[in-house]
Amino acid sequence: MRQKCKRVWKLIALVTGIAMLLLVAAGCGGTRANGVVVVGSKDFTENILLGEMMAQLIEAHTDLKVERKLNLGGTLVNFNALKKGDLDLYADYTGTGLVAILKREVINDPQKAYDTVQKAYNEQFKLKWLQPFGFNNTYTLAVPEEVAEQYNLQKISDLKSVAGEMVLGAEQEFFNRPDGYDGLIATYGLNFKSTKQMETGLKYEAVRNKMVDVIDAFATDGQLITYKLKILEDDKQFFPPYFAAPLVRMDTLEKYPQLEEILNKLAGQLNDDEMRQLNYQVDEEKKEVAQVARDFLLKKGLID
Amino acid sequence: MDRVLALSWQHLSLSVIGVALAAAGGIPLGILLTRYRWLAKPVMAATEVIQTIPSLAMLALLMMLFGLGDTTLVVSLFLYSLLPIVRNTYTGLLGVEPGLLEAGKGMGMTRSQLIWLVQVPIALPVILAGLRVALVTAIGIATIGVLIGAGGLGTLIWRGIQTRNNTMVLMGAVPAALLAILTDAGLALLEQALVPRGLKKKAVSAL
Repeated sequence: MRQKCKRVWKLIALVTGIAMLLLVAAGCGGTRANGVVVVGSKDFTENILLGEMMAQLIEAHTDLKVERKLNLGGTLVNFNALKKGDLDLYADYTGTGLVAILKREVINDPQKAYDTVQKAYNEQFKLKWLQPFGFNNTYTLAVPEEVAEQYNLQKISDLKSVAGEMVLGAEQEFFNRPDGYDGLIATYGLNFKSTKQMETGLKYEAVRNKMVDVIDAFATDGQLITYKLKILEDDKQFFPPYFAAPLVRMDTLEKYPQLEEILNKLAGQLNDDEMRQLNYQVDEEKKEVAQVARDFLLKKGLID
Repeated sequence: MDRVLALSWQHLSLSVIGVALAAAGGIPLGILLTRYRWLAKPVMAATEVIQTIPSLAMLALLMMLFGLGDTTLVVSLFLYSLLPIVRNTYTGLLGVEPGLLEAGKGMGMTRSQLIWLVQVPIALPVILAGLRVALVTAIGIATIGVLIGAGGLGTLIWRGIQTRNNTMVLMGAVPAALLAILTDAGLALLEQALVPRGLKKKAVSAL
C-alpha cells in the first residue's frame, strides 16, 4: 500500500518537473533554424498586406524560408517580438516610431522624422529602417460627406465649434498614443460630446449607423472610398508623418545581407492612392491578402 | 471546414495542455496546503491575484519572456487554471468529514494513506468540478491567443471581425462554444466513471 502511494507522488513530481523544464526550455529557446526568416505584421489590412508582400519578395528572390506571423495584436506586440528576436522584420511607420515608441515631440518634416528614428533605432534597439514604401498613412479624422456639408467642415479646426454635439469613435491604440486622442484634443482645443472605443474593423459601420459622428481614420483606408467619408485637413499639422518602411533586426541583415537589397525593391513603389486601392481590394472587394499582394508584385515587375 | 477542424483541434490541445499542467502542479499543491495550513492563505491570495490580471495584459507580459506563439498562451492558461484547481483541491480535501479521518487513523493508516485512500476519493467530485471550470475558462481565454501569434479558433474570430465577415466570426465562435460544452460534458462523464459508487450515493444522501 505504502509503495503505491509513494509511486503516485513520484509520478506527479516527475510530470510537473518535466512540464516545468519544457516550459523553461521553450522560453529560453528561440534558436531559429538556419535559413528561416520570420515576418510579422500588425493587425490591420494594410500592414498585413505589406508583411505578405515582403514575405513573397523574400521567397521569390532567395532560398530562404519565410515564416509568417501576420495579424499580431498591435505595434507593441510586434516591436517587442522584434527586439526579442521572435520576428526578423515587420513594416512600421516613422510617425509611430517617433511618438509612440521613442516618445518624442512630433517632427513634421518627413526626412527629418525618418533620420531621427533611424539613428535612435540603430543605437538603442539595433534595428534598421529600410527604404520607405512611398505612402504617408497618417492618422486623420474623417466624417461622412453629408456631415461635412452640414457643418461646413474642411479642416480639423472647423470641428471646434461643433465637437460638443459629436461623438468620436476610435480604436484603442488611438486613445492610448500621445500622437492620438490626447494630443489632438490639446492641439485643437476640441471637446467632443463623448467618445467611444471600438475595434478598427467596426469603426466604419459605426459611423454609417450614426452611432458615432466622426472617427479616426488612416489616410489609406480602403473604406474611405466605400463609406463616402471625407478626410478633414490637419491644418495645425498635429499628426506626424507616417511613412511606412520595413523595420529589420540588424543581426538578421548581417546574417542575410541580401535581404536589404530585396526589400528595398519596394522603395517608393506605393503612393497613397495605390495603397488605398490595395486596401480597398481586401477590405471591400473581399479578395485574399496573398492574392492581392501577389498581383501587385507581378504588376510592378518585382516578381515573375 | 478542414481549417475549422484543424483550428479546433489546436484550440483544444492548447487548452488541455495548459489545464493539465495546472492540474499536475495544482493538485499536489492543494494537497500540500492541507498539510501546511499556514501556506494556504498566501498561496490562495497569489492565485486570486493572478486571476484578476486581464488576459490580454497577461499575454502581453508573458510574451516578453516566452515569445510569440503557443508557449505564451499555454503558460497563461496554466496560470489562470491554478485558482480553480488549487482551491477546489484544498477545500475538497478539507471538506471530508472528520469522523472518516478518525476512522482511518483508527485503522492505522499513515498520513499518505489517509490522503490517497480516504480524502482524495471523497474530494474527487469537488476536484473534478475545479478541473471543469478551469478547462471551460481556458477554452474561452484561448481565443485571445491569436493576438500574440498563437493558434486556435481565435484566428477566425479575429480575422472575421477585422474583415467584417460575420460568417467567419461564427465559424470561430460556434466551434469554441461547442468545445466548451463538449469538454464539460466529457468531464462530467469522467466524474461518473471515477467516483466509486458507494461514495456517489453517500454524496446524495448527505445533502
